[in-house]
Amino acid sequence: MLNLFITLFAITLFYFSISERFRTYSVLIAVQGILLFGLAFLELKQVNIANFIFIAAETLVFKTFIVPVLLYRIISRTGVYKVHTRAFPSFYILIFTMVGLLVSIILSNVLHAPNVDSVYLAIALFTLFTGVILIVTHKRIFSHMVGFLVIENAVFMFSLAVGSEMPILINVAILLDIFVSVLIIGVMINRVGEHYSDLESENLTRLKH
Amino acid sequence: MISQFFFIFIAALLVFFIPSRWKGAYTALILTSGILITSIPAIRILATAGALVPAGEWLFSGALPAISIDRLAGFFILIINLTSLTSIFYALGYLRPYSPRINPMRFSIHYFSYFWLWASMILLTVIRDGYAFLVVWEFMTLSSFLLVVFEGDERKTLKTGINYLIQMHIGLLFLMVGFLITGDQAGRTGFDSLSVYFGNHDNLPVFILFFIGFGIKAGFIPIHTWLPQAHPAAPSHVSGLMSGVMIKMGIFGILRVLSAVQSDLLTIGLIILGISLVSGVIGVMMAIVQHDLKRLLAYHSIENIGIIGIGIGLGVIGLAVGNPVMQVLGFTGGLLHVLNHSLFKSVLFFSAGSVYTSTHTRNIESFGGLIKRMPYTAILFLIGSLAICGLPPFNGFISEYLIFSGLFKSLAGLNLYMSIVILSGIIGLALIGGLALFCFTKAFGMVFLGEPRSEAAAKAHEVRPVMLIPQLLSVAAILLIGLAPVLFVRPVMGIAGEVFNFQVPEEISSPVLSNLGSISIIAGIFIALAAGLWVIRKAVTRNRQITMGPTWGCGFTAGDERQQYTASSFADNFAMLANPLLRIKKESDGIEETELFPRQRKFKTHSVDVIKRYLYDIPSDWFLSVLKKIAVMQTGQIQHYILYAFVFMILVFVLTFFNLI
Amino acid sequence: MIQIGLILLAALFFPGIILRTKSIVSGRRGPGILQPLKDIGVLFRKGSVISQTTSWIFQAAPVIGLAAIMTSLLVIPFANFKALLPFEADFVFFAYLMAIGKFFMIIGALDTGSSFEGMGANREALFSMLVEPAFLILMGTFAMLTGYTSFSAIFSAFHMDGNPYAFIYGLISFYLLVQIAMIENSRMPVDDPKTHLELTMIHEVMILDYSGFDKALIHLATYVKFAVYGSLICSSLVPAGWNTALQAGLFFIIQMVFAIIIGLAESFRGRNKMFRNSQFILTLSAIALLAFVVVLILTQKLIN
Repeated sequence: MLNLFITLFAITLFYFSISERFRTYSVLIAVQGILLFGLAFLELKQVNIANFIFIAAETLVFKTFIVPVLLYRIISRTGVYKVHTRAFPSFYILIFTMVGLLVSIILSNVLHAPNVDSVYLAIALFTLFTGVILIVTHKRIFSHMVGFLVIENAVFMFSLAVGSEMPILINVAILLDIFVSVLIIGVMINRVGEHYSDLESENLTRLKH
Repeated sequence: MISQFFFIFIAALLVFFIPSRWKGAYTALILTSGILITSIPAIRILATAGALVPAGEWLFSGALPAISIDRLAGFFILIINLTSLTSIFYALGYLRPYSPRINPMRFSIHYFSYFWLWASMILLTVIRDGYAFLVVWEFMTLSSFLLVVFEGDERKTLKTGINYLIQMHIGLLFLMVGFLITGDQAGRTGFDSLSVYFGNHDNLPVFILFFIGFGIKAGFIPIHTWLPQAHPAAPSHVSGLMSGVMIKMGIFGILRVLSAVQSDLLTIGLIILGISLVSGVIGVMMAIVQHDLKRLLAYHSIENIGIIGIGIGLGVIGLAVGNPVMQVLGFTGGLLHVLNHSLFKSVLFFSAGSVYTSTHTRNIESFGGLIKRMPYTAILFLIGSLAICGLPPFNGFISEYLIFSGLFKSLAGLNLYMSIVILSGIIGLALIGGLALFCFTKAFGMVFLGEPRSEAAAKAHEVRPVMLIPQLLSVAAILLIGLAPVLFVRPVMGIAGEVFNFQVPEEISSPVLSNLGSISIIAGIFIALAAGLWVIRKAVTRNRQITMGPTWGCGFTAGDERQQYTASSFADNFAMLANPLLRIKKESDGIEETELFPRQRKFKTHSVDVIKRYLYDIPSDWFLSVLKKIAVMQTGQIQHYILYAFVFMILVFVLTFFNLI
Repeated sequence: MIQIGLILLAALFFPGIILRTKSIVSGRRGPGILQPLKDIGVLFRKGSVISQTTSWIFQAAPVIGLAAIMTSLLVIPFANFKALLPFEADFVFFAYLMAIGKFFMIIGALDTGSSFEGMGANREALFSMLVEPAFLILMGTFAMLTGYTSFSAIFSAFHMDGNPYAFIYGLISFYLLVQIAMIENSRMPVDDPKTHLELTMIHEVMILDYSGFDKALIHLATYVKFAVYGSLICSSLVPAGWNTALQAGLFFIIQMVFAIIIGLAESFRGRNKMFRNSQFILTLSAIALLAFVVVLILTQKLIN
């Protein structure tokens, strides 16, 4: 079961590099939320009820429902549906993602530490790389935000890799990050989106002048 | 043996005195006799089966530098001889149209340099002493330079030749430094003192020196930039010879150095494998977008050197991790590919030369339909294309198969990092195969098939038999290796073993040979099936009505040859995918909206060799601009130069005063 | 020997089942299952029109294509029986045999001097280049897992034991094999065999100028190719230790299910935009890489 979740998680990461619509991104974030809940449920051994409810709330409620719904709202409000302005072969993004998978496997093997689960570490690194690739190679801010969310998932995975319990502190930090990012970008997109319908980050840098 | 060699050298000098009509035939005669003389010891050394032959046969020792033939040298001698033989006879026909235009002295120089190229390559394989090796290496460079600038009245050819000369001398510099560092106490340098040096010092830096020196000759990326310019500029028989054997001399040198290396094997193997993968993939990617037929073939030489390097790198990694399967299969595949490549590349270059002779252009966009006008050249080019793509039942498949099986068989036992390295090797080799298929369907299809795209192509006619018959020899070898690989792989395995001082164990060699036996049988069945189906087809369709008609034009009656796919359009979808690497520039005039009946327009595509541009052109342009600014100091007036000398003296005085010098 | 007979038998029914499935899904009754065979029979009896632009290559291409496919039957195993002539790394030979068939089809298409065929040849060359690494990475994962490198040895040693990763790997390799089979046979979503617009065709447009006997040979080659890939899929799904008669029965059932899957996929999926095709095929290599990572875990190289 565990292995299925991990493999499905990796497949969603590949899907990020090839999807063309932002709606797919929201669906993928939701799927990742469910998978993370499943992983947390199966992995964390020493949890008390309060901690467990907190994690369930965070992954299931927040990541699987609230964040995707928010994303959907932003998409329909600003009318930005497609990931790339022009038809763009995501060939190279896929190649980078493949290289990222290999690099994360090698890194996880190099960083082999006694109480760290190698597979989780590898997948967490891969998630991190995918998030960074999303931010670096895409031009629209929406993709940057989704990349940020993916990196948050990577942090979640890291904490799963390291131990069999998850301190409240880490969860609160992750939650705060997600909350703030969605809020800021949502507000900014709503306001800025009224003026610039394209939402390319180059247009944003011109805002300074 | 040496005295006979000396005789031939004197005989070669006489070519200056032979009347022009007979110069070519005379050179062919002396070359053939030289080939016969040198092949005999080579075959003798290869035929000694069984245990390793340590120091080889001493041809001459004493005052002249040490010469010895071992089996690697014998193998390379046979490769050099075969291609030189086919090339000189091809040249007899190729150079005939030039005789009115070019004066006899140039021809004499050309033939003399041709002889010297062959002689220097043979000598290189047998010399063990460092200085003598470098001297003969220089002879090889000079003679090939003279051959390349044969049509030197065009400025471009001369410029390309000088570019080639300079790059070869840079390589020579690296080799010289390498040999000097590894010289022993008595000041003797050479391959024997290499082993002594490698036993006591760090292997990696000196190996890199030698690798760069030999790699410039071989054509590894990023030190390959002379290759795509020199091969099209040279006449076709020279291109075939250079691409077929001369660049293999670089591989030969690397193999000699590798046989002396004793430590750092894993790093060295990874470096060779990495550079070869890059050379193979990028080489063939660049080949796809070329317009010049011979430049396309030159980039394919880079790709095949990459394949040879993958085999050698695999073997070295096998040595490093102690995996005998990888060792044997990698080295055998690499060495066999040296032979295979010389065979099919020479056929391809000669056929391209025949096409050039008939049509006087090398631009792929202006060919088409040549299969009806030059049917034999077409068949030769087809066989060369099938072989270079590594398709069964030809020889290219056998060497690629050996390297692939080495890669796959070693996947199971290794640790994580090695598995990922092997996987990248597999991906790289698979990509190279697929890209080569793309490129050669384009090359063969655009040049020979369809309708002629220009007047020149429509008026082409078949070349004289003297240009076709030598290629038959190579084709026969191609088919023989493809259909009966066991005959060739067994000796090559022995050679691989001898070079690296290991005995090929029976439990590795016999499965390989039995696999190759199965391949022979299946290849035979394939050919039999194809022939049988062809016969059935002929029999059945004899009673059917067959009519000839125009190609289906989907209802368009005004179709003509301009509606065909051109080479650029064929390569276009790939070029779009690989654009960051290829940087294709397209130039065309747009069509105005008000222009209802568009007039004739021009369209140009141009691909840039990205590595050449960013590694060579841009830094050298920057450097030149900096130098131009400093050139202000060269005023030409002697007072200023005396002032400079005076300033220098003061500077030295001051620095000595402060104890800085 | 027996597998050649089984594969040829399956090849006879395969296209008919696909056609029938598509018709039933569209609400029609559809032609009989043996209809494609009857079409080939008709083609054998017809004469042909050959273009003046072409040369002997145009006529030789279907012959070589069919010969290549038939020769590849020699290395395909079945159940407990090894292939007729197995040898190590024979899947490399298999891949290159398919490649020589493709080479000749491509130059046969270029021979006609038509822009349509040139377009199809171009696309076919690009897509077959992209699918090659996916196939070889997949076979590499098989080789790494089982320690053997020949089709026969791999499939007799491969079985999904209780390890959950093995089950995942089986799923991924099944998916990959199905997709590679569909791409190699020019099916959706890479190529639509039923389109009538030459601009949107890949394989169909390469054979536009063929008629009569040659066309029959090409169709035969396509059907046998389907059955060959179907038998590979069957070998990967069914463990080799079972009863031979049971295996033969399962063979036909799996071939039929495979044909129905293709029919369903063709009915419900549209063809990719042509330029998204290259990315789609590259995704297969990415998934093969994932399979490689799973096998790394399985063989305990990625220490858990």
